[in-house]
Amino acid sequence: MRESGGETRLELRRPDSLQAARAALEGTGGAGEPAPQGSIPLAGGTEVVPLVRDRVVPATTLVDVRALVPRGVDGTRIGAGTTLAELEADPEIPHALREACRLAASPQLRAMGTIGGNLLQATRCWYWRLRYPCWLHGGDRCYARAGLHREHAVFANEPCASPHPSDPAAALLALGATLRTDRRELSVAELYRLPTDDDRRITTLEAGELILELDVPAPEASAYLKAMDRRAFSFALVGVAAARRGEETRIALAGMAPVPWLLDGLEALETATPLPQNAYKLDVARALVRRALAEIEP
Amino acid sequence: MPELLSVNGDTHDVDAPVGTSLAHYLREHIGLTGTKIACNEGHCGACTVQVDGIPILSCITLVHRVEGEVTTIEGLRDHPMVDAFVRADAVQCGFCTPGQVVSATALVAANPSPSREEIRHAMAGNLCRCGTYPKIEEAIAAWQG
Amino acid sequence: MARLIKTEKEVEGRYTEQWVVVEEDVLEQWPPGARDTVGRPAPRQDGSLRVRGEARYTADVQLPGMLHAAVLRSPFARARVRGLDLRNAERAPGVRAAIGPGVEPLTDEPNFQGAPVAAVAAETYEQARAALALLEVEWEELEPLLDPEEAVRRDQLIVDPSRYERGDVEGGFADADVVLEAEYRTQTVVHNSLETHQSVCEWEAGDRLTVYISTQFVWGVREEVAEHFGLPEDHVRVVCEFMGGGFGSKNGADDHTFVGAELARRTGRPVKCALTRREENLAAGNRNATIQRLRVGARSDGILTALEGEFVNANGWGGWLASTGGPMRLLYACENVRTVERGAKLNTPPMKAFRAPGFVEGTFGLECLMDELAAQLDLDPLELRRRNYADHDAMDERPFSSKGLLECYRRAEQHWARRDEVRARSDGTWKRGVGLASQVWYGGGGPPSYAWVRVGADARATVVTAMQDIGTGTGTAMAQIAAEELGLPLDRVRVSLGDTARGPYATVSAGSSTLPSMGPAVRSAAADAARQILEIAAQRYETEERLLSLRGGRIVSSDGGSWPLEEITGLLESGQILGKGSRGPNPTGMRVLTFGVQVAEVAVDVETGEVRVERIAAIHDVGRVINPLGASSQVEGGIIQGIGHTLSEERLLDPQTGRTLTLTLDAYKLPTIADVPEIVTDLVDEPDTHLTNLGSKGLGEPPIVPTSAAIANAIRDATGADVRSLPIDREEMLRALRTASRQPKRQRVSA
Repeated sequence: MRESGGETRLELRRPDSLQAARAALEGTGGAGEPAPQGSIPLAGGTEVVPLVRDRVVPATTLVDVRALVPRGVDGTRIGAGTTLAELEADPEIPHALREACRLAASPQLRAMGTIGGNLLQATRCWYWRLRYPCWLHGGDRCYARAGLHREHAVFANEPCASPHPSDPAAALLALGATLRTDRRELSVAELYRLPTDDDRRITTLEAGELILELDVPAPEASAYLKAMDRRAFSFALVGVAAARRGEETRIALAGMAPVPWLLDGLEALETATPLPQNAYKLDVARALVRRALAEIEP
Repeated sequence: MPELLSVNGDTHDVDAPVGTSLAHYLREHIGLTGTKIACNEGHCGACTVQVDGIPILSCITLVHRVEGEVTTIEGLRDHPMVDAFVRADAVQCGFCTPGQVVSATALVAANPSPSREEIRHAMAGNLCRCGTYPKIEEAIAAWQG
Repeated sequence: MARLIKTEKEVEGRYTEQWVVVEEDVLEQWPPGARDTVGRPAPRQDGSLRVRGEARYTADVQLPGMLHAAVLRSPFARARVRGLDLRNAERAPGVRAAIGPGVEPLTDEPNFQGAPVAAVAAETYEQARAALALLEVEWEELEPLLDPEEAVRRDQLIVDPSRYERGDVEGGFADADVVLEAEYRTQTVVHNSLETHQSVCEWEAGDRLTVYISTQFVWGVREEVAEHFGLPEDHVRVVCEFMGGGFGSKNGADDHTFVGAELARRTGRPVKCALTRREENLAAGNRNATIQRLRVGARSDGILTALEGEFVNANGWGGWLASTGGPMRLLYACENVRTVERGAKLNTPPMKAFRAPGFVEGTFGLECLMDELAAQLDLDPLELRRRNYADHDAMDERPFSSKGLLECYRRAEQHWARRDEVRARSDGTWKRGVGLASQVWYGGGGPPSYAWVRVGADARATVVTAMQDIGTGTGTAMAQIAAEELGLPLDRVRVSLGDTARGPYATVSAGSSTLPSMGPAVRSAAADAARQILEIAAQRYETEERLLSLRGGRIVSSDGGSWPLEEITGLLESGQILGKGSRGPNPTGMRVLTFGVQVAEVAVDVETGEVRVERIAAIHDVGRVINPLGASSQVEGGIIQGIGHTLSEERLLDPQTGRTLTLTLDAYKLPTIADVPEIVTDLVDEPDTHLTNLGSKGLGEPPIVPTSAAIANAIRDATGADVRSLPIDREEMLRALRTASRQPKRQRVSA
């Protein structure tokens, strides 16, 4: 565990334009990422506020972007500032995304958290959250692999077994959503990257880049199923999203890899590399993937 | 940056360091101790207050970012939900209870006759270690007397 | 007349012999059944204060000039502090005092993560915490001992093993037609009261101390703090009017109080010392994990011939040896029983009592084993339990003061009879089943405990006693008892509690003892007040006292007269009627226990390992029920905690370092409202005719005792899988299903 020193003095900035926000955020990554210049964007705050307060993320300047990020739903477009609660309640939203929002977190957190922020959540790995000097924090070992990892990744879990917690991200990945940032368009799949020795970030966002809008094409059918340790208010042990458009069916998983994980069919589960305490996740995933596929069958 | 905070109809100057949570501000700066802090990191719901009628977690809300009218348990003391909780014995140690009432009143404002499933869905963010849940569900189902 | 007796005092299953002065308990018990107030549902009197957020908890105490303390806790499971420099912290902004090892209970040889090493008091909590980070500590990290079995092998135990044996155990196994052996494991769980452990300490004149504290025992805190600081006990005042949950973890003063009081002494300012949620999950106590190797021998008709249990409690660095073998010794009429309990001393945070400590864990093992035996013998599990019913306490060859377990079994039949219908509702991958488990636990309370009752000119009464209501509603039950005795409507009786300076000694609110200890004292105080009222009334109305009684707020004469009570109390003007009462002795030569049975219905998704508890019927015998509404809340609360223990809660340690990983409430998973089944509460409600003037036993703990075994047995009924380890999470459930699928199918005994 890192020692923290002295009292934190935080600064809160409220830029009035994207340009000003970009200037304020220059040199930073997304939420949950190391912030070399000490500033981090703040939207719903459900993730950033506790992480900054606990100094898991060493930011001292919070850049409030809430007023700059669009909010609301217009056809297939969703403002990144739209809350999970709003998406959960909107009948126009594809089922998998609505369900992913409904099953995420708690009512209060869904009322606060934005869809854009949700995509940028950091891992729930307790070692990372408790500030062990782990690989993902820039260290040289994964404490979870050698320690407890019942909730951890079964795919791409070498060298780091941190699980990505976002339910909506898996849904959006299955739905083939795209994102518009303040500087480009990209698919949800392109948003994420597996961390490498040289670069431990899990998103491809550039320093200070803000997600502004999502485009979620309507599927013919979609589903989201989630296995938790309790019936509500818990992160996914296994989250399975599936969406069908024409001949194409896409499956994506939450809680199974360091990033939301696109699964190339049920059989692809057999390529997983589970650790001693989390092989059960594959049994659960097999059942949920079959069920999700059955749910979206024509 | 808003320097004013409206709580239960009263306006307060926000005179606190940046980083101060709404929960801390309510309790320590303006003496509204009905809002409880139990985990202080958004995992239990004891600190729930409403902002413009929407239940949120005041322990991870920065007071300087609050826009809108804050309603705490002190602003809901005359709500019929209070009596419904007392009648149903929906209170044991009582530490989570103000937060429960804040969530419950927001639920019935939007949905006056919630189903049992709707109650459970709307109340799942308020943990109660005493296990008062069955009585809470009963109180909300019967809140109109 | 006061009498000096030697009595067995039991708290949380721990017996001590002590001398106590008791008053004879001369009152006859009320006849069974509901009365005007007692036995009728009453919403709690302080409910409104709590619901409206007006109740003042320790967390809400704000004193002028109050400082805030933060405690540096060992980040290592075992370490030595080679050097500690307080100076940087002392110079930090807002800091008024800093203390380190050498000041009790701060240590330079921490033996578990979370052990207190240093502490700082500052103007704000943030300043205190920031100053902690400036402390320069030179740690020497040492190898921790984390494996309880290794500790047993090394004989590193917290006390000598507790051994018990009756009859001829080897002979019993030799006589058995069937012998079953199995190992059960239960996990470490944390109380996680929503109000964390905290206190505010304020000195006056250098030798008087007031402690506001979230506690289950104001008198115990008074004694501990007085001893710690070498003060006369009456120089210490302890206040706890409202507290946000304890469940056994708040029976003592604890390190935060000693640290806070010391910092307050040094600064001359009041000091609040409150644990954070993370500290609460680390250093505020836990229910220790257990390993239970059990063996049962039985004849083919199900009669037990021998029971044997070896129990290892993973105590951590302290605590006490909870009776994990208690249910095996007490529940059944088996003549040949041997138990050995060992408390492994580990470099982990020490256990504390947690709602029926030992018995929750031991009942899981024993009652699962009984169901495995029933399956083996092709016997109905309920019938198997009836055949082994104990009609007396075989440990000491003593009669029970009362035992309604057969009546509990009888009432359980209607729930048990649902199992064919429940199983028939199995649907695809969801398999349904029903299971039951019996409960035995203490809960008789005992002396000493005292109460006063004050009646004023307005004919209202106040019960004055320095007990605490930890959220169970016992305060309201006291008001009901006094109202009943005084013939007053409940709304004319209030209770003043929670302050050692404002009332007589009262029991610890632990071990299901508050009501059975305090209730009789309150009744006797109210009877004393009633007698005085009637004495005055007899003079005023020139009649004989024996003709008069109190009812409905009136003085009623058996020859037809009736007068409002105010007519007599009004004569007092500023005077008061003062009644005093005390808890009488427990019945001699008898075993006082509570009993019950729970019937659980579950659904198991055999593909995903999800377990849903759908219904639990809880039938318990706890003597007379004072407040059926509050009682049902206690039952529901116990069952829901039991469900958390069974399915989702577990404190997890990093296996290398012994550090706790589940410090936050996203990682440590308490049940939510969505996890709650239908709960049916049925209390036998027969007074224990040998126990006090009330015949009431405690109810705080019995409901959590059988829940995990009932659920596990229902899972076996639904799926054929034996779950022998808690929590039954997805991994454990799927593992048990895999094991079961490799074994021959067992027949299910039909209803």
